[in-house]
Amino acid sequence: MIKSVRSLMFMLMALSLLLAACGAPSAPVEPTAKPEPVVVESTAVAPAANPLAMYAPDAVTGDVTTAGSSTVFPLSERMAELFQQEGYTGNVTVDSIGTGAGFERFCKTGETDISNASRKIKDAELANCKALATPREPISFRVGTDALTIVVSAENNFVTALTKEQLGKIFTAQYTKWNQVDPSFPAETILVYGPGADSGTFDYFNEVVVAPLYPDAAGKADIVAGKAALLGAAGAQFSEDDNVLVQGVEGSKYAIGYFGFAYFNENKGKLKSVAVEGVEPSQATVDDGTYPISRPLFLYSDAKIMQEKPQVAAFIYFYLNNVDKEIVDVGYFPAPDADLKASMDAWKIAVGK
Amino acid sequence: MNQLDLSKKTRIGESVIQTLLFIAGFLSIFITVAIVYELGKEAWLFFGNPDVTFAKFFGTTTWQPSIGQFGILPLVTSTLITSFIAIFVSLPLGLAVALFLSEYASPKARSALKPVLEILAGIPTVVYGYFALLFMTPLLQKIFGEQTVEVYNMASAGIVMGIMILPLISSMSEDALSAVPRALREGAYAMGATKFETSIQVVLPAALSGIGAALIIGISRAVGETMIVAIAAGSGPNFTFNPFKAAETMTGHIARISGGDLSYNSIDYTSLFAIALMLFLVTLVLNLISQTVINRFRQRYE
Repeated sequence: MIKSVRSLMFMLMALSLLLAACGAPSAPVEPTAKPEPVVVESTAVAPAANPLAMYAPDAVTGDVTTAGSSTVFPLSERMAELFQQEGYTGNVTVDSIGTGAGFERFCKTGETDISNASRKIKDAELANCKALATPREPISFRVGTDALTIVVSAENNFVTALTKEQLGKIFTAQYTKWNQVDPSFPAETILVYGPGADSGTFDYFNEVVVAPLYPDAAGKADIVAGKAALLGAAGAQFSEDDNVLVQGVEGSKYAIGYFGFAYFNENKGKLKSVAVEGVEPSQATVDDGTYPISRPLFLYSDAKIMQEKPQVAAFIYFYLNNVDKEIVDVGYFPAPDADLKASMDAWKIAVGK
Repeated sequence: MNQLDLSKKTRIGESVIQTLLFIAGFLSIFITVAIVYELGKEAWLFFGNPDVTFAKFFGTTTWQPSIGQFGILPLVTSTLITSFIAIFVSLPLGLAVALFLSEYASPKARSALKPVLEILAGIPTVVYGYFALLFMTPLLQKIFGEQTVEVYNMASAGIVMGIMILPLISSMSEDALSAVPRALREGAYAMGATKFETSIQVVLPAALSGIGAALIIGISRAVGETMIVAIAAGSGPNFTFNPFKAAETMTGHIARISGGDLSYNSIDYTSLFAIALMLFLVTLVLNLISQTVINRFRQRYE
């Protein structure tokens, strides 16, 4: 009898392991684009292939370290995957820690080769870069556009559109119940989810939506006051990891949050986007500029790094050439052609070609 | 007459071993002191900052160092509430399991139940965290209604922490119960007590010091638990006594903030050390309270 109980235990354990293995989600998302030849003719250099052949994915070795925006994270991850599929033998690490934290690593400790950012670099961060032991001069490469999306749960049947002012007051806890926003909404507490202070998304939301509600003595939007109001909102949940926010908003009918369009796109079944100033986020409204809270996405690197580490330059080159094919699938919007061309020109100048 | 040398003859080998063992014992004290020193050094910088006052630290109820709010109460209450829920779940259950294993179980049942407890003890805490978020929270929402239970809440984290501590408390309590001499049990039976009466009124009190030790370790484990609360309890400090609301604990806050990047001399960085020191003190105080209570009981029954 003892033996059969023991063997039963072993069988149960083995069975549970087997079920866990079988039930595990399938392998990471397969890219939809077919592999493309990397060496693309540029408009400036006539004998295109030769000088740039050294930047082909299979021609470079070594690792690339990137970190920064959680918004740019899915895009960089996708480009890194494709880069490796094209024959790159090294590792591209992408850390999702927030734009601000990414610039800390790029400019204060000099740990990363590329910084992902969902906003332009600040003057203080530029100063830090100059103050490094080997100074860095960050070059910005525009790679795409994001429509900052305000989301509520799909079960939320009362909110469809909000003004920027209402959003600002919700996220700074000036409105604590939904019926304060609009008397027709239920009298329930608003559950607020948002990125923390390390996030570029936070900075952008502050700059465009919240700070205008806190004008300083001269009448300009006070960024510092806006930041204090956002962070001081009682009961708000902050996380640099957008997946935590997605979980939070999905879980309650009365929750509201904001993050990059890609995270909304991925969870369309359980989330609903809110129109801002009457405009819903979409390709059309981002392109013609009617969506009021769309923002550029950047990679930042330094010319010296790109020259000393050709794999970094190769990765950025690959990125700029192929991002338009992938960006809509990832969930963002292509940057204007002029900006992409300007980024490519900046790349050429940086590597000295 | 020659003086008789009655002192112990020194054996080199014995002295060496004695010194090594002394160093090993001393090492634990040294490490504790070193930890307190490191925490204290940085926390000193935090309290040295002119914006930070003890009144603010212990008196106010919002914690956001980047905008000058330094009230640690929300983090402390969340830690205490989750730990209390964990102990509330694990202590009765753990004692029940221990009693069953030591008093009532047949050898077959023992050999089946003990391996399962070992498995429970071996599950990684991050798995427990997702268990709390994806199973316990929906269950609580079904029982108490979706409006009362938030997605991130202290109750589900506390309950799952209790499940995690259960094997610890049950195995230590079971050792303590088994160590009670048979004579006590047999004396009780001889007086006409039922098995249940013997277990509860004779064996359990006799094993109280061992059970108390289990409780102390359980509390320390619950207070220091990071992964479960980081995933399931919430990601923003919130001063509330409602266990169904999201509130970040001290450990979860340290984990979240140090996941980002902080410059070395910023107030955010030093505030983490102040929280860690506070955590250390909370554990110390809880240990001292448990020990005094246990000692008081010990005198009565032995």
